[in-house]
Amino acid sequence: MARDTYRLRIEAPELARQVLPGQFFMIRSPGVTNLLLGRPFALYDVWTDASGAPAGIDIAYLVVGKMTGLMATWVPGDRVEVWGPLGNGFPPADCERLLLVAGGIGNTPFPAVAREALGLARYGNRAPQAKLPREAVTFCYGVRSAEYLAGLEDFAALGIDVRLATDDGTRGHKGFVTELVANLLQGTDSRGYRIYCCGPEPMMHAVAKLTARHNIPCWLSLETPMACGFGACFSCVTKVKQPSGEWDYRRTCVEGPIFHAEQLAL
Amino acid sequence: MPARLRFVAPSGYGRYDECVPTLQVELNRLTLANPILVASGTFGYAREMQAFVPFERLGGIIPKTVTPRDRRGNPPPRTVETASGLLNSIGLDNDGLDAFIEKHLSYLLGLGTKIIANIAGHDRDEFVQMAERLGKCQGLAGLELNISCPNVSGGVDFGTDPKKTSAVVSGVRAACELPILAKLTPNVTDISEIAQAAAEAGADAVSLVNTFSGMAVDWRRRRPILGNNVGGLSGPAIKPMVLKIVWHVARTVRVPIVAVGGISSIDDVMEFLVAGASAVQIGTANFYNPTLAGRLVEELEAALATAGYASVREIVGTLQANS
Ligand SMILES: Cc1cc2nc3c(=O)[nH]c(=O)nc-3n(C[C@H](O)[C@H](O)[C@H](O)COP(=O)(O)OP(=O)(O)OC[C@H]3O[C@@H](n4cnc5c(N)ncnc54)[C@H](O)[C@@H]3O)c2cc1C
Ligand SMILES: Cc1cc2nc3c(=O)[nH]c(=O)nc-3n(C[C@H](O)[C@H](O)[C@H](O)COP(=O)(O)O)c2cc1C
Ligand code: FES
Repeated sequence: MARDTYRLRIEAPELARQVLPGQFFMIRSPGVTNLLLGRPFALYDVWTDASGAPAGIDIAYLVVGKMTGLMATWVPGDRVEVWGPLGNGFPPADCERLLLVAGGIGNTPFPAVAREALGLARYGNRAPQAKLPREAVTFCYGVRSAEYLAGLEDFAALGIDVRLATDDGTRGHKGFVTELVANLLQGTDSRGYRIYCCGPEPMMHAVAKLTARHNIPCWLSLETPMACGFGACFSCVTKVKQPSGEWDYRRTCVEGPIFHAEQLAL
Repeated sequence: MPARLRFVAPSGYGRYDECVPTLQVELNRLTLANPILVASGTFGYAREMQAFVPFERLGGIIPKTVTPRDRRGNPPPRTVETASGLLNSIGLDNDGLDAFIEKHLSYLLGLGTKIIANIAGHDRDEFVQMAERLGKCQGLAGLELNISCPNVSGGVDFGTDPKKTSAVVSGVRAACELPILAKLTPNVTDISEIAQAAAEAGADAVSLVNTFSGMAVDWRRRRPILGNNVGGLSGPAIKPMVLKIVWHVARTVRVPIVAVGGISSIDDVMEFLVAGASAVQIGTANFYNPTLAGRLVEELEAALATAGYASVREIVGTLQANS
């Protein structure tokens, strides 16, 4: 899809019928003992067979280490272990304007989110929603350098407003994606807006701050390391505010990975 | 239920010609329908595993360690995968004893398998008070004393000192009627000394072992990878060390052994049984092979039958040392 970035298509009709945008799967190579744990990957999108029925899921991933390195060597026909769908997913886009903000490989949940918001696809057993017009959905996407921009054609095909940033200025705005968001929000009436964000932690913190200032509801998809993905190990914790006013470590894999920014003790 | 496995006993082996191996094992006062348990901290509070494991097939479930009061646990990252292993520093993140009894216990007790609560206190009195409360909970099958957690200060103190081990175990024995498993740490010079102390103080069995202390380093950032800097190693990487510990303790101490360390297949289970364990716990494997524990009971039956054994008891400790 881009430098070090690949798409994995998995035939799994059962998972494809259930999954919601923003949910994730644990993926493993069966029988491999020097790479024990599964790794979490967000739904990129569901694909359908000739009759239009959900047939499987696509994952998009960036090679950063052992498992993703191995995945890049997989060939069509290989069998993989997948469990899911896991986590909560993004809530339905019940708003007038939807702003999707991605940093790096954090773009992966958004094709499905955008298609659902535009009324182009339905996921799981969610009721059909009010459709947003194309111009009401904006995708701000920042990466280190243009060669890492992944899936641009998928977003372009949706006809939504796409705005790019690169750290080195090789494409779009030179600088951080958060600057794109700040520019976009500056001087606009932000009523009816909603923001969904996924990317490196510092970037999500910056977006959360920005949206708090503009009073825009914001949901973040966290990428905490996970050992099991289904709630058994307590390794994936993040600080979540409690009714008492204190914070507690809560499991991202079962209570997230998506949190309202106000829930998090950042 | 799938059809039960039948086998024809080798001639001269017994008077029967058809049998199903007996899986029941006794750990002094604790009787288990079969020797397959799941390890504390690797099975959540069982709810999390519902989709993967038919609980009633297991010999028992040991939920995550409970402490007297709630603990947030250690800062993330809390786990990192290392060569064939998992390093963790969860730090006994739990909501405390009251919440355990209110939120989890009645669910656990309805699962149709034995529930062994795992507890940890800061001192002997805390262990004793928790044992008193849990001793009054109808339906609980036993207590496992976590005197071996490497991830909390004070946690391993008990398990590295035979006198303190003895004080905790005898205190708990006096405080309740529940069978006791003492879970020991491998991070000692001579674990059989600790196992001996636990047995003499009234432990029905010893669980061998908790994790080995270790660390992982990101040299480029010059930082430990775990938020807590150090953690405990588990998974297939530790199995050879745990086998040796089990074999050693089995030969030197008269106490039933529950083996836990890197078990991820039926062959691993059989290795531990012949080395001297009466039962086993599945730990880290639950994370990457979540349906394993539920399948092992059937596989055990088949493995015993194929090897010509009529019961688990017959095969325990049958390992012959090379002369
Ligand atoms: C809910 C969720 C959804 C996700 N969705 C996606 C997705 O859609 N696409 C995607 O590409 N990723 C996604 N991720 C991230 C993905 O899970 C990780 O990139 C993946 O687990 C990496 O596995 P690995 O074995 O390749 O890397 P590992 O080898 O496990 O390394 C992981 C990271 O830690 C660092 N690291 C590991 N060991 C060391 C060491 N010894 N010293 C220093 N650094 C070390 C590596 O450099 C790397 O950055 C998601 C994560 C979560 C939690
Ligand atoms: C993530 C994790 C959490 C654990 N938490 C506990 C715990 O709360 N109490 C306890 O007695 N042991 C705990 N353990 C130790 C395991 O129960 C077991 O003794 C150890 O992992 C070795 O077995 P294994 O190699 O099969 O995992 C934990 C282990 C892991 C990996
Ligand atoms: S990854 Fe195991 S509890 Fe979340």
